[in-house]
Amino acid sequence: MAGKSGATPATYSPSLTTSDKKKKPPLFNEDWVRPDGRAFQQCRPAFFRTGAVNAASGSAYAEFGNTKVIVSVFGPRESKKAMMYSDIGRLNCNVSFTTFATPVRGQGSDHKEYSAMLHKALEGAIILETFPKTTVDVFALVLESSGSELPVIISCASLALADAGIMMYDLVASVSVSCFSKNLVIDPISEEENNQDGSLMITCMPSRYEITQLTVTGEWSTPKINEGMQLCLDACGKLAKIMRSCLKEAASDSQE
Amino acid sequence: MREIQLPLSQTQKVRLQKALETLESLSRKVNSDASVIVADSIHVNHEDGVLKGHGTADLNGEVVATLCGVVERVNKLVYVRALRAKYKPEVGDIVIGRVVEVAQKRWRLYINYNQDAVLMLSSMNMPDGVQRRRTALDELNMRRIFEEKDVVCAEVRGFQYDGLHLQARSRKYGKLNRGQLLTVPPYLVKRQKQHFHHLEEFGIDLILGCNGFVWVGEHVEAKDDMIEDEVSQSDHQVLLPNKNSVSLEEQEKNYTILETRKYICRAANAVRVLSTLGFNITLEIIKGIIDLSLSMNIDIHDMLGSEFGVLVAEKEAERRSSNKKKR
Repeated sequence: MAGKSGATPATYSPSLTTSDKKKKPPLFNEDWVRPDGRAFQQCRPAFFRTGAVNAASGSAYAEFGNTKVIVSVFGPRESKKAMMYSDIGRLNCNVSFTTFATPVRGQGSDHKEYSAMLHKALEGAIILETFPKTTVDVFALVLESSGSELPVIISCASLALADAGIMMYDLVASVSVSCFSKNLVIDPISEEENNQDGSLMITCMPSRYEITQLTVTGEWSTPKINEGMQLCLDACGKLAKIMRSCLKEAASDSQE
Repeated sequence: MREIQLPLSQTQKVRLQKALETLESLSRKVNSDASVIVADSIHVNHEDGVLKGHGTADLNGEVVATLCGVVERVNKLVYVRALRAKYKPEVGDIVIGRVVEVAQKRWRLYINYNQDAVLMLSSMNMPDGVQRRRTALDELNMRRIFEEKDVVCAEVRGFQYDGLHLQARSRKYGKLNRGQLLTVPPYLVKRQKQHFHHLEEFGIDLILGCNGFVWVGEHVEAKDDMIEDEVSQSDHQVLLPNKNSVSLEEQEKNYTILETRKYICRAANAVRVLSTLGFNITLEIIKGIIDLSLSMNIDIHDMLGSEFGVLVAEKEAERRSSNKKKR
């Protein structure tokens, strides 16, 4: 193997994931420490700021540890695609990654799956009846990705929508947990996400205590799911507080 | 609106803060703590009965906000005025728009509203000034009047089944050229008696569109006296407009002298300063800023600097407090 890779030209480097997988599992046993030194049920410090993009009608920037996301909202504006008359507005979501988002330089392309999930998570919170015949475009750009991008994107997008003055029932906060055999780890980073047994993401409107989206992947037992959901809901409530204080700040600034 | 984004030195910061505080103390105190964000509950007195207005919803018998903004109360009505919202047209508003599409007998204009506005061919005066039925030929020649990306000034006519309609039935409306279009938040432009202004001393026109589009351009004479000339040439104009070959004479006619251009930039920068500071945009204030910049010999590009911004804020505070005293 070693001789083979030595013979190949330097431009080709075999992916390290296979060898990594073998090494990693012992790390995630009973008494492992998370790579960034957090406790299992401790989220990364969150930072929000509205008004990141001047050209958009509303925008927000979010930073969770090394995951950095910028979301801009355009509209409500006339639907560009010729479409049937509709009583309710349309929500159009798009998530894309920059070329330098991941440690390995990527393509920086659109992410279809995340786009669809973002749409699902937000559409329940927006009062679409208030802008018939028009479209709201939500563009999320991941500047740097280091795990749990989707929850960050969703939270950030709801902040951007609020900034754009679009009617919503409530802010949407989102948190994910990863499951490692016995342990539940909140707000996982990419390294943890790659080795998880299962993941659970909850998107909720905290002040109404309503859930707009729930995603579960991998192996879960019923008590684990319950525990994970409680954990997520609790974290969502706290996250929403941070988001609200950010909006409040912006509102009191513009009062001047 | 955003925080004021100017690179300020320490003393400038203090001065700006002081000016803003004076302004704040002058404004009404009523709404000072009425700002809400999404899903905040709004305190209401249920015994009096409430009418839930725009931006509010009902949650378990409580009134909650669905927008970020300021709570306004009018008798029983409770509504939320959004801080950053699109323009809401009202009939009779003067707006400036940009043509996005030339369609069947109509132009579609972007006016910073939820939907594009419609300007029908039939609801505008023809450039030749004759009143007649619009023929198929006129329809074919629509691009000669307005093209895509042209800036057009018009009046809001009303809502029809197919959207918002505009009209341009006067000489003062129509295509705008030789100037600058500025976009500011719509709430900075208040509805007034007069939205068309001619600043004679500078030879420029200033149009304050209610939708937050402000036009600063070279003064154009209202061409009432020229109608007759044009009628005689109307056949030329409709049938043989040769767009590409602009004659030398034409070019000379379209030339704006440097002096005027400078004034246009000065006025435009005055509007920009006002919009970064978040002050209302009126003729009087713009004139004040231009005069201030001229009297202090400030270069056009320096008008956007932080020093001038602070100066304008101080001036404005002074002006408002003196207005207050007069009253």
